[in-house]
Amino acid sequence: MPSQPSSPMAFPPPGFSKRKSAIALPPQSTAVSYLTALQQADAKARSNSASSAATVSTLSTPALSTSSSMSSSSSSATTVLDDDPYDPKHDGDDGLSRPAVPPTSEQVFSTIHSEFGHCGNQTYRHTSKYSGGAFDPANSHEPPYYILLSTYISYIFLIVIGHMRDYFGKKLRSANYKHLMPSNGYAALNSDFDSFYTRRLKARMDDCFSRPVTGVPGRTIALLDRTSSDYNATFDYSGTRTRALNVSSYNYLGFAQARGGCADAVEESIKRYGISACGARLEGGSTDLHLQAEALVARFVGQEDALITSMGYATNSTTIPALASKGCLIISDEFNHASIRFGVRLSGASVRMFKHNDVQDLEALLREVISQGQPRTHRPWKKILLIVEGLYSMEGSLVNLPAIIELKRKYKFYLYVDEAHSIGAMGPHGRGVIDYFGVNPRDIDIMMGTFTKSFGASGGYISGSTALISRLRLCSHAGPYCESMTPSVLTQIVASMASIMGVSPPLPPASPLATPTRSLDVAIVEKSFIGPAPAAALPTWLSLPPQLRDGSEGKERLRRLAFNARYLSRALVKLGFITYGHDDSPIIPLLIFNPGKMCLFSRMMLERKTPIVVVVVAYPATPLVTSRVRFCLSAAHTKDDVDVLLKACDEIGDVLDLKHGDGERWTLEEVMRRATELVRMP
Amino acid sequence: MADAAAATSTTDPLSAVLYQSLDVVQRTFNAIPGSAVLVRYVKSSHQNDPYRTILEVILIIFAIRTLLQSRTRAEKSGKNFIKLEEKEIDDLVDEWIPEPLVAPLDDTSRTELASVPVIAGASGPKPKLVNGKTVVNLASYNFAGLAGNESIKEKAMDTLRKYGLGSCGPPGFYGTLDVHVQLERDIASFLGTESAIIYSQGFSTICSVIPAFCKRGDIIVADRGVNFAIQKGIQISRSTVRWYDHNDPNSLEEVLESVAKEMKKKRLPLTRRFIVTEGIFQNDGAMVDLPKLIKLKLKHKYRLILDESFSFGVVGRTGRGLTELYNVPAAQIDILVGSMANGLCSAGGFCAGANVVVDHQRINGTSFVYSASMPALLAVSASAGIEMLVSTPSLLTTLHENVLAVRSVLDKLDCITIPSHPASAIIHIFIRSSATGSTLSPSYVPTFSGVSSSANAAHKPSNPTSVLSRDPEQFDIAAEERLLQDVVEEALAQGVLITRAKRLRGQEAVEPRPSIRLAITAGLTRKEVEKAAGVVKSALIKVLGKRRY
Ligand SMILES: Cc1ncc(COP(=O)(O)O)c(C=O)c1O
Repeated sequence: MPSQPSSPMAFPPPGFSKRKSAIALPPQSTAVSYLTALQQADAKARSNSASSAATVSTLSTPALSTSSSMSSSSSSATTVLDDDPYDPKHDGDDGLSRPAVPPTSEQVFSTIHSEFGHCGNQTYRHTSKYSGGAFDPANSHEPPYYILLSTYISYIFLIVIGHMRDYFGKKLRSANYKHLMPSNGYAALNSDFDSFYTRRLKARMDDCFSRPVTGVPGRTIALLDRTSSDYNATFDYSGTRTRALNVSSYNYLGFAQARGGCADAVEESIKRYGISACGARLEGGSTDLHLQAEALVARFVGQEDALITSMGYATNSTTIPALASKGCLIISDEFNHASIRFGVRLSGASVRMFKHNDVQDLEALLREVISQGQPRTHRPWKKILLIVEGLYSMEGSLVNLPAIIELKRKYKFYLYVDEAHSIGAMGPHGRGVIDYFGVNPRDIDIMMGTFTKSFGASGGYISGSTALISRLRLCSHAGPYCESMTPSVLTQIVASMASIMGVSPPLPPASPLATPTRSLDVAIVEKSFIGPAPAAALPTWLSLPPQLRDGSEGKERLRRLAFNARYLSRALVKLGFITYGHDDSPIIPLLIFNPGKMCLFSRMMLERKTPIVVVVVAYPATPLVTSRVRFCLSAAHTKDDVDVLLKACDEIGDVLDLKHGDGERWTLEEVMRRATELVRMP
Repeated sequence: MADAAAATSTTDPLSAVLYQSLDVVQRTFNAIPGSAVLVRYVKSSHQNDPYRTILEVILIIFAIRTLLQSRTRAEKSGKNFIKLEEKEIDDLVDEWIPEPLVAPLDDTSRTELASVPVIAGASGPKPKLVNGKTVVNLASYNFAGLAGNESIKEKAMDTLRKYGLGSCGPPGFYGTLDVHVQLERDIASFLGTESAIIYSQGFSTICSVIPAFCKRGDIIVADRGVNFAIQKGIQISRSTVRWYDHNDPNSLEEVLESVAKEMKKKRLPLTRRFIVTEGIFQNDGAMVDLPKLIKLKLKHKYRLILDESFSFGVVGRTGRGLTELYNVPAAQIDILVGSMANGLCSAGGFCAGANVVVDHQRINGTSFVYSASMPALLAVSASAGIEMLVSTPSLLTTLHENVLAVRSVLDKLDCITIPSHPASAIIHIFIRSSATGSTLSPSYVPTFSGVSSSANAAHKPSNPTSVLSRDPEQFDIAAEERLLQDVVEEALAQGVLITRAKRLRGQEAVEPRPSIRLAITAGLTRKEVEKAAGVVKSALIKVLGKRRY
């Protein structure tokens, strides 16, 4: 076992073995030997797990040092398979670094398993598409009475004890409360009431939040181990790391990768463009790359033009004030993101909220506000802007876009859709909720999205008509005052987006198949906005490996994500959990209710043999009683990963008494066995 | 028996009063419409489940308390509501014609858009534009000349191979990377504060920092000339704002005193009080007199929020900013905000201060909490930038020499005025108002030291509740912008890239005077900078010399 350098994973996965010659097809022998090797690895892994039932559960490793990034790879290639130089003894034990089951197809993987999982089984694929029928997700499950009761009681306990501790603490140990009390003529920087929640509730489970990590936030992630000896006031870092299955990052399409075509492109862009664009867009911070990326984004979402901002949050907060002002009305979903609320407040427009995703409530509100006009004066509103999100990040619910577009025809409001989480992640072509519902993108006035999620980059975009975008270039706060997007980030966007779209013509030295594919592409373009990116739209220096260039890998990623999302959400319901949101959403909140169980859930997940990191959220991010854990799936996950997660949920769910859903129940084995059936069910 | 009777008789008047008052309460309660329903509801639910009532009562109390605390109170549409028939509503809906979403572009804006310079390839001291021309760059922020630095690029590429690009999550949810923590430490130790926090965009930093601390009822005393991001942060905070004249410590002192007087008169409780200003002002390059500011803040017990976005990485021997320049310990500034995008040619912004200040933002800084953390390679580039500044003080020396060189060329010109401080690497150029030949109005004090108290004495102080000063300077925005744009184009034709300071006309608190904004860099030699300044000078003379107005 210590002979790890010759590990099967060290074979050069084709496609990125030699960055420059990425276009050349891999020699057959490599692929075959790779598969054989995988099989051997798998056999080894299986015998491992059979023999060693009780091995160390967490993988503790020395801290990442700069020199250790490149693992000792096999002599032949420049391949780096894992930057995690942990003890090879534990390798493969948890299925995180090497697949438990070898691929069944002839597929060759060009990714690192710990970053982007190897899943060759083509039945584990699905297409993310609205199938018509009832729209409402089943969010109405009520937990049993005693759960609600105990949840309320635990909050009351927490609050009462918190106040008592504050009361006595201030008397007995006033030094600890100094920053909460006026002193020396200064008022307290934050009052004890404002910070009560943070100090008395959140601090108890601070070990579940803001866990520092290192490396790629891909399929797995490396946590920096920490302990606290003073009830989470401070943390001690042991210097070791734990690799865990990552169902928390917004890495929907798995583009968070340190290797592969996109990363190669980014490296090239750093060489060519440097780090920064050095200024605001209107003041000398624009480069040709900005224009190329914006054109590509517009094409991707099916609009005339697009504007890129260097931060997703700022995309909302700096654009909305340029669209609405005093005398305008903004109607906002009650669960809209903080950045939207920030922008709305800056705009000075009047705001009304409607019940989350409730089209009836929205229509009633529209009728009221249009007929009543502005408050007091009853003058008609200058304009009404409806702001919704495509996919709500805490609820997992999709906007009812067809119904809203219907309303828009009648009530003439302008529609602003924040596709932060849905762009890339939803729809058969990854074009977001538009694509998912098959609506015309031009029915939406303003399309906003971020690159932090599906594209593994950062920043955001606004897309719409040329007139709108040109105006926004001048009037949004970002134009003159925000730093422009850095070239490396732009390149990641262009490369990942192009590989979702596919590039046409596919390859300059055309293979015999090229002609039919092209005519097919043309047909698609004619039918709708969805088509490949013209090669001319990409920077000339950008060379993508063939599987990214022809869009095949992009498609594969979309289909894997769609499968994973649907599988997990349906499986959890079958296991008896209460979840929120739509089946096709890659965000799946599982309701926990009790604040105490929430942190237990998080800790138990992390302490498993295959550690899993999860996001737990509670008040104030959610309503008081509906504390939840939120899973974000990725195309990088394999079915095995979802199974591992399901098993963990199943076991912990039994311990913590979380299974209160109604409807038919399946056993874990049944769920795992009938996964495809579960996904294909209407 | 007697004892008992005595006891009842003594309690009688007490219970009588009690019953009476209870009666009154009950009657007033019953008078409230809908109270009967409430009573019935409570009764029935109490019957079903007595514990629930108790819990709910407690929860209601909490709900009311949070509602009262809530800063966004629901609109009261009640009394103003007009009842309409469905048919009438339909008609109104049909009749309503909204304004267009945005105003269509007029010619000026179209020209404006077309004139935005676009660089082909890397930005730097001598970039190539998309038209193929190579220019000398006095427009982009590359103060210490870190853009294109090979060793920083190497580090970024190494980081890319370890971390990928995006962090795919907000800091609270597995978006905190070790490189972020490292950068925060680097900044804190560079500046000499207890700790620091990084935001993923410079502009959004101060916008979030101000409302994280300044709440409704708190007092902000701010400079009239603060940049747009600060204005927005102040707007979001909903604090009480008092304005003092731009970069005028005397005016600041007056305002502080008037606030103290007001507080005393109204017997207002002790609230948080902040002075918000910039180190070097984005809008005109003026520099604040930091020691004086600190003296005032300590005297009046205010906390200082200082935006060093244009002084961090720019002034001081190693670019630590104003604190280094004035030799003031950074710990004296309660909340110090700066930009890694401007000062370190990377991205993002930071806030440095004491632990309590920084930790508070980790939960309350909205754009920190609700936004993905910055890409690892940009954080590493920023750390590498700091390392460069520390290890190579010559970068800053070169920058300052270049600034001086440009100033010595431009200062002598009499068709313009320069409001910027001689040490500022951003240099604003105003057109000198030719009508009177006068210099600037007192609200624009050209240098920090020569406070024009004589000019001030002639005027009554401005009203601190209004952001507008008493006699704002007069200028014709459209005409001046056109002239300045001509200068920009003339310079570009001669191979020097400069830019007008772009503004959001109509959205600014006070319309800043149109200006050309130069950004000096250490990436050029003194000769090159002098030559470029010469080009700017002749462009100014050429355009402004022949104007008639
Ligand atoms: C709906 C929505 N809009 C905007 C954002 C902000 O994006 P970013 O993280 O890129 O700043 C988020 C991120 O969580 C979001 O969920």
